[in-house]
Amino acid sequence: MTTLKLKNLTCRFGDVVAVDGIDLEIGDHELVSLLGPSGCGKTTTLRCIAGFESPDGGDILFDQSSVKGLAPEKRDLGMVFQNYALFPHMTVSGNLAYGLQMRKTDQQEIDRRIGETLEIVQLTGLGDRYPNQLSGGQQQRVALARALIIQPRILLLDEPLANLDAKLREEMRFFIRNLQKDIGITTIYVTHDQAESMVMSDRIVVMFDGRIHQIGKPAEIYNFPATQEIADFIGLSNFIACTVSSREADDQYSVDTATGRLRSTTTASHTVGSEVIMMVRPEVITLHSESAQGTHNEIQGTVAEKYYLGNVITYRIRYTDDAILQVQGQPWSTFEVGDSIWCRFDVERSWILPTGSS
Amino acid sequence: MTRSRLTLLLLIPTLALLVAFLLLPYVNMVVMSFRTPSTSAVFAPGFTTANYLNALLDPDFYYLEILWDTMVLGFWTTLICLTLGFPLAYHLARTQSRIKTLLYFFILSPLLVGVVIRCYGWMIILGPHNGLINNTLKQLNLIENSLPLMFNTFGVSVGLIHVFLPFMILPLLGSIQAVDPALEEASQSLGASRLKTMFKVIVPLSLPGIQAGSILVFVLTISSFVIPILLGSYKVMIMPTLVVQQIMDAMLWPFGAALAFILSIAGGLVIYVYLKLTARLVPGVQ
Repeated sequence: MTTLKLKNLTCRFGDVVAVDGIDLEIGDHELVSLLGPSGCGKTTTLRCIAGFESPDGGDILFDQSSVKGLAPEKRDLGMVFQNYALFPHMTVSGNLAYGLQMRKTDQQEIDRRIGETLEIVQLTGLGDRYPNQLSGGQQQRVALARALIIQPRILLLDEPLANLDAKLREEMRFFIRNLQKDIGITTIYVTHDQAESMVMSDRIVVMFDGRIHQIGKPAEIYNFPATQEIADFIGLSNFIACTVSSREADDQYSVDTATGRLRSTTTASHTVGSEVIMMVRPEVITLHSESAQGTHNEIQGTVAEKYYLGNVITYRIRYTDDAILQVQGQPWSTFEVGDSIWCRFDVERSWILPTGSS
Repeated sequence: MTRSRLTLLLLIPTLALLVAFLLLPYVNMVVMSFRTPSTSAVFAPGFTTANYLNALLDPDFYYLEILWDTMVLGFWTTLICLTLGFPLAYHLARTQSRIKTLLYFFILSPLLVGVVIRCYGWMIILGPHNGLINNTLKQLNLIENSLPLMFNTFGVSVGLIHVFLPFMILPLLGSIQAVDPALEEASQSLGASRLKTMFKVIVPLSLPGIQAGSILVFVLTISSFVIPILLGSYKVMIMPTLVVQQIMDAMLWPFGAALAFILSIAGGLVIYVYLKLTARLVPGVQ
């Protein structure tokens, strides 16, 4: 299939720089999601790749050859739109046939491919329906089928699940991911939903303000975010302000916090005495009624709030006058508000971030 | 008083107006078309179908030919308005321009000038002897004899298209705006050029606007009177001119009324067939 390369891609709308010189390489068969808050430039990037926006600078390459001057209809892409954009005056079959008719495929082959594709998206028998006779989830799958039936070089998905209800959205994540793996098509997935991008992606590209802030596998992005902004955007985090006190190993430092000395992990190097931020995810912290006496990182505090969520209990632990640690406890955990408590976590499960947002 | 009664009460002035000045004259005209003609009065006593039969069964097909010419004029005016209006309406529907309001004003501008002044304006431009176009071409020695730009179907069509274009553009504008721009992008991403997208997606989906605009322009054209008189000068004979001639000049009220209803029925039939045909072209819309 196809590899994609963005070289210093820049796109402006008047004075606003929507995409600010991004570089990205996407390999064959890979599903990469562009993740970021609204206005971060992820959709504009996708539209530049599709040819709907013309970049002000940089280049876009499919398989090493530039597509910059190419009209959208010449790029051979499959695109799924947020509102599906199904042709309301055509049946499901008509929608699927459209791209093949443009390619002058003969009618027999069109019919065969429609049958085959409807089967893949589990809509066999619905070929004669009009889009407005279908449910949201079915329309979504027609949109996907319409994009895939032309056997495009690259599949572009622009927030395709945003209009579905929560349960269906979760099912469709797995469905799309499996389909993409089966076909092996290079895919770019734009979303602002971090859980969605975690589940579906081979790699995630985190974007803020038109720039790429981090590229990595879902686990890397989650466990070792490059900045506090990313850590904050993806999942829940506790941030503890601290000062580097000494280097303990290649990737371990001792740090001083308001509640005492702790140890943490990083791949960056920090000078002794510099201000840093320690990130601890709520689910890596375990709660204990007694201290482990120095074998782990520990913070002592008091249970301030307790919320039962079914699969977990969220505790909010006050460990200094103005600092709260959020912890996900087991649902059978019995600590109550007011209990004095030890919050314990592994050195390897905490992560040092530079101060400042970028 | 209940709410529905109050609503009814509020409707009365409009209803009264419509009954007094539209329905009653119409009924009167229908009755008139079946009256016996008279040379000394508006009509003679008794009823007859002779008015209709005389018009329809005229051995020279004189009246049917004029009816046909009227329909042909309506057809071409509508088609040209649609062809000219669609790209304009599309541009206006999609533009992000800051002068959008000004563009609307330009579209509506033909309606801001009275029909007589507008026609005299066209006469200055199209006139056979001292008209702007003929004069200029003669001065440049490009032509020897004047081009027939006026007092013929061409001149009438120009005048009609000029003023009816807004009636085509406004309904089109509404239905093109209702077509999601993402559909155009979807079409392009599937390999359709912009032109193909226009004919396969935008035109079919704006069918309601095309129908509304076409009906408006067609009806206005086949019932137009002032423009055909001024720019056609009785050399372009269409049904409204004929009807007015029969009633005002020849004082043949019953026959004129019959001609008027033949025009109405024929126009209605054309519109009915048009709606049926276009609806079949685009099954999913409507």
